[in-house]
Amino acid sequence: MDFVSELAVARYEKIGEIVGKCVERVEKPKTFSDIIDTVVTDKYVGIPIFLALMWAVFQFAYSVSAPFSDAIDVFFSWCGDIASGIENSYVASFLSDGFFGGWGFVLVFLPPIAFVFIALTILEQTGYLPRAAFVVDRAMTKVGLQGKSFIPMLLGFGCNIPAIMATRTMEDDVDRKITIMVNPLMSCSARLPVYVLFAGVFFKEVAGAVVTSMYLLGILLAAIMATLFRKFIFGGKPSPLLMELPPYETPTLRSVLMNAWGKTLIFLKKAATILFIGAIIMWFLTTHPWDATNGGELIENSYASMIGHAVEPIVKPFGLDWTAGVALVGGFMAKEIVVGTLGMIYGVGEEGVADVIPQHFTPASALALMAITLIYVPCLATIGILRQELGSWKWTAFVVAYELVLAYVVAGIIYGIAVGLGVA
Amino acid sequence: MIRVALAGNPNVGKSVIFNALTGMRQKIGNWPGVTVEKKEGVYKYRDVEFHVVDLPGIYGLTAHSIDEKIARDYILKGKPDVVVDIVDASNIERNLYLTMQLMEMEANIVIALNKMDLAEQKGYKIDVRKLSKELGIPVIPTIAVKGVGIEELKNAILQASKVKREPYVRYSDGIERYIELVKSKIIENSILPNYPPKFVAIKLLEFDDEIMREAGIDGEVVEKWISSVS
Repeated sequence: MDFVSELAVARYEKIGEIVGKCVERVEKPKTFSDIIDTVVTDKYVGIPIFLALMWAVFQFAYSVSAPFSDAIDVFFSWCGDIASGIENSYVASFLSDGFFGGWGFVLVFLPPIAFVFIALTILEQTGYLPRAAFVVDRAMTKVGLQGKSFIPMLLGFGCNIPAIMATRTMEDDVDRKITIMVNPLMSCSARLPVYVLFAGVFFKEVAGAVVTSMYLLGILLAAIMATLFRKFIFGGKPSPLLMELPPYETPTLRSVLMNAWGKTLIFLKKAATILFIGAIIMWFLTTHPWDATNGGELIENSYASMIGHAVEPIVKPFGLDWTAGVALVGGFMAKEIVVGTLGMIYGVGEEGVADVIPQHFTPASALALMAITLIYVPCLATIGILRQELGSWKWTAFVVAYELVLAYVVAGIIYGIAVGLGVA
Repeated sequence: MIRVALAGNPNVGKSVIFNALTGMRQKIGNWPGVTVEKKEGVYKYRDVEFHVVDLPGIYGLTAHSIDEKIARDYILKGKPDVVVDIVDASNIERNLYLTMQLMEMEANIVIALNKMDLAEQKGYKIDVRKLSKELGIPVIPTIAVKGVGIEELKNAILQASKVKREPYVRYSDGIERYIELVKSKIIENSILPNYPPKFVAIKLLEFDDEIMREAGIDGEVVEKWISSVS
């Protein structure tokens, strides 16, 4: 006798008995919720609707946040300009390039991230996200993931840290592990500035398509790796998705803002610590030894240059030079640092980078750099959270290792194809 | 200090009720040993202090998911004075499934029957008094997002903390025979005397890994116990 199901039946019998006595059901016409559900969870239009909504989320977030980002950028540039007028050139350099420059490039990402969180929170609170999980479950199961992997994967577009934490709702340990391990491949918002910059410079008319293709590349790689992990490491099958679809509700402004603020705060904390310290370290590396660089003028003599030249042979096959090497090393700390570092190296600040990079990159090498930025090592903070959620250094090291190898292979393939097609 | 635990399915408005009860006086941390968020808060009602723990949103009380295990362990081992079971009135059948399991654990339950407005929209007419009588548990209708019923809920929690009730659920005779049999063996051998014997009996019948390990009993023993029935 299978008592698990016998007891479940007994419980439902009892419930039926009680509900039968106490609850009357007046047949009402289909609720608004039901009508929406027949559309959004439809076998054919469900996925297009889902994709359109996702596109709308990002479109909304980035267009609404642009003026805020610009204002922040202007403000910190202005602070930097004032600071650069200070007598003592060491203090001036530290304050304008290191301190204000550092805060500036960290905080410009705050508005888009906050708005992505607001948009996703609205979708979550209206009750759409569980439908989305339901809609994509079939596709997810094919690649060895599960419907519930979906929300963490989606959150990965914002930041992998809350995304990996969101896997806690998954019951099955293997499902959860795989979801965590491929999550860093979802292109978080920190990588976006790199795509925007390079796509904007090298692929003007089709920049949007190039940026989107980076996101798609991330999704594709996540699907491939998840399939491989399921097949060769863990085995078994994704557990079936059992989920309720709560009725649609109008989110309240207060709860949306509070929820989004909580998530944004996580980013701010990271910004205040890792990103800012990273910016200061990059300032130090690009301006020291102070005498040799003539106070940050001759970047070729800096520590950053030494590191870059040491890394150069590794990235040379993709047409990348030492400047990209330094930027990628900086990106170990946090991927936001890549663009800021290039700005410091070329000595032009964030705004002027676009004019200088054609001297150092070709369209093909730009694509390779974008792909590497997408794939290689998750940032320091993500490594921390991987360790926490996977519960083992061994698996964490495995994630870092597979991503490094994958980045190298994929960048090579992309560069090869681009050169072959004559993009370079 | 009265210790209150909030239990309920996901998406029933549990955190809204938690916020309505505790206001801003809350603390967010982790459950020991795992990385699942633990929210705690305090409030005062009629000069009595209440300490509230928000359990993870769950559908049942198996030991399969971390969330369910946390909730179960807290109720079994933490022995809160009152367990507030938040039931989504618009989805009452599925929600009562957890209620049944809380009753099996003989928790001192107060039900907050939330989303009453939504239930009405859906065409459900719920006789709250009768439901309370059938279950043998106080049931307070609420619409938490509008703050409706929170005072009444606070009062019900206070009353429940004074009179400890051990709800009793009786299933169909077919299954009760087995439960009774295993229960008598448990009492006879004083197995896990700190837990409600009926709960232990049900979990042993379900071959629940966790309880079997704690009791030091394997499936064969249980099979032998019940062989006399069939």
